[in-house]
Amino acid sequence: MYFPYFISYITVGFAISLVVLIWAIKTGQFKNQQRARFLPLTEELNVSAPKTSRFNRLETYALFLLAIAGLGASAAVLIAALLHGK
Amino acid sequence: MTAAIDDKIQSHATAKGFTLTSACWMVVGTFMGLLGATELMAPDLTENIGWLVFGRIRPVHINIVLFGFVTPGLLGAAFYYVPRLLRTEIYSEKLGVVTVIAWNVALVAVVISLCMGYTQGREYAELIWPIDIMVVIAFALVFINLVMTVKNRQEPVLYVSVWYVLAGVILTATTYSLGNVIWRPNSGALVGIPDAILLWFYGHNVFGLLLTPLAAGVTYYVIPRVCRAPLYSHTLSLVGFWALLVVYTHIGTHHLLQVPVPTWLKVIAIVDSIAMVIPVMAFLINIWFTARGKLGEIHADIGGKFVFTGTIMYFFVSIQGSMMALPDVQRVTHFNNWVVGHAHIGVLGFAGMITLGGIYYVLPYITRKPLYSRFLADLQYWLVLIGMVGFTVVLTIAGLIQGNAWLNGEVVYRILPEIHPYYVTRAALGLMVFVSALIGLFNILATLFFNTREAAS
Repeated sequence: MYFPYFISYITVGFAISLVVLIWAIKTGQFKNQQRARFLPLTEELNVSAPKTSRFNRLETYALFLLAIAGLGASAAVLIAALLHGK
Repeated sequence: MTAAIDDKIQSHATAKGFTLTSACWMVVGTFMGLLGATELMAPDLTENIGWLVFGRIRPVHINIVLFGFVTPGLLGAAFYYVPRLLRTEIYSEKLGVVTVIAWNVALVAVVISLCMGYTQGREYAELIWPIDIMVVIAFALVFINLVMTVKNRQEPVLYVSVWYVLAGVILTATTYSLGNVIWRPNSGALVGIPDAILLWFYGHNVFGLLLTPLAAGVTYYVIPRVCRAPLYSHTLSLVGFWALLVVYTHIGTHHLLQVPVPTWLKVIAIVDSIAMVIPVMAFLINIWFTARGKLGEIHADIGGKFVFTGTIMYFFVSIQGSMMALPDVQRVTHFNNWVVGHAHIGVLGFAGMITLGGIYYVLPYITRKPLYSRFLADLQYWLVLIGMVGFTVVLTIAGLIQGNAWLNGEVVYRILPEIHPYYVTRAALGLMVFVSALIGLFNILATLFFNTREAAS
């Protein structure tokens, strides 16, 4: 008999989620989302911004290329598996 | 301004404690990974040394990386940013320090018990009952501290990072209890197929409901600050948050597609695995649009650089994960080294990178000193990145060799000579990651204790 544990977990999970949702609505958590966007910036940035360079930007593009290459390899596996995996 | 003044009298002891915990245990966790990889390459290396056999080293590696390196690092950052976002102080630094100590005691117990052979024998849920209880208590203490901080807040609106960290901590405490069957102390398991279902419900959620929310919380805090730009959309971030909770909880059974579990459960697992695209893209679109035009700024900041790389790896690992849930793909990719490669992109490439990013971002703030060495941090970044990408390549190739050979009816042991070169390469890459952990530990220790320079204001 394992169902009672699953069912109690699901019930408790739903109940907690519902309570949190109602609390969030009541306390206006979903209002004024424009202001919420700025919350990480309201505190002073007391460390000066590091200097940027062209190399920093190129480094990021290289990472994107890396990710695209990985995705391409994954897509090749997907296609090969679908065509020859039967 | 208030937060900045308060910041000067705060000790940040909890954040420092978790940060140091993460740095120290990263060394242990990566060493265990290196040792395990070496044993796969040279199985007789630890012959007749019972407590160092692969079957004991692997769970130590996994549990220490999960609970010793990644989770404390992300919590260290959280204990810094949660009070900042709520414009208050942490509820209790004393409770935080007690939690850090209890956490470390549990980690020592993890290593000793697993090396001695005390295990529940269930993947990702190996820890025995007394340690299960310690883990649950540690998460409960973290939750109490954070939720009381929320209660004492001056900022009425909870930023999405706060939602993520609170959810991650409490959901893990509960799913950990359920997945480890803590109401059965003797076995820590159910019997038969229900146990497999429960185990993978937990096994997948420990990544999706612990590492993912904590890493997302750090990312949502660090990226806007590094870019000095507001978040692209807070509404979208909340959509992603709730979608993650709804979708992720169902997908564990995609590990059991080739097992006689109920078909309806498999269908739910597959459909929700594909639906994971929704929370993943909600998160990534939000972060990448926030960072639009600021790529140079991100890579100029070492914390931002680690975190942003983690988001790219998240993109990759999530698409791969959805794809792997398709039965036709899984017939080739499951139960072999492909999955090991996938797990390394997720835990090291995504969560691990963001952990290091979070640590390096908050260190100057919690110590009020600049980082000891930007060069060493950059070196660590490249060692981790090259090691992780290398893992992905060699383990994917090894996995495809195994998967295709097995599908063609080949037996397991005849494939081993074919994948041996990849195991050798994997161990060499593991050495790079271990060295990076040593460099990181030195840099963090030096910043915390030996750095006499003051932060530039």
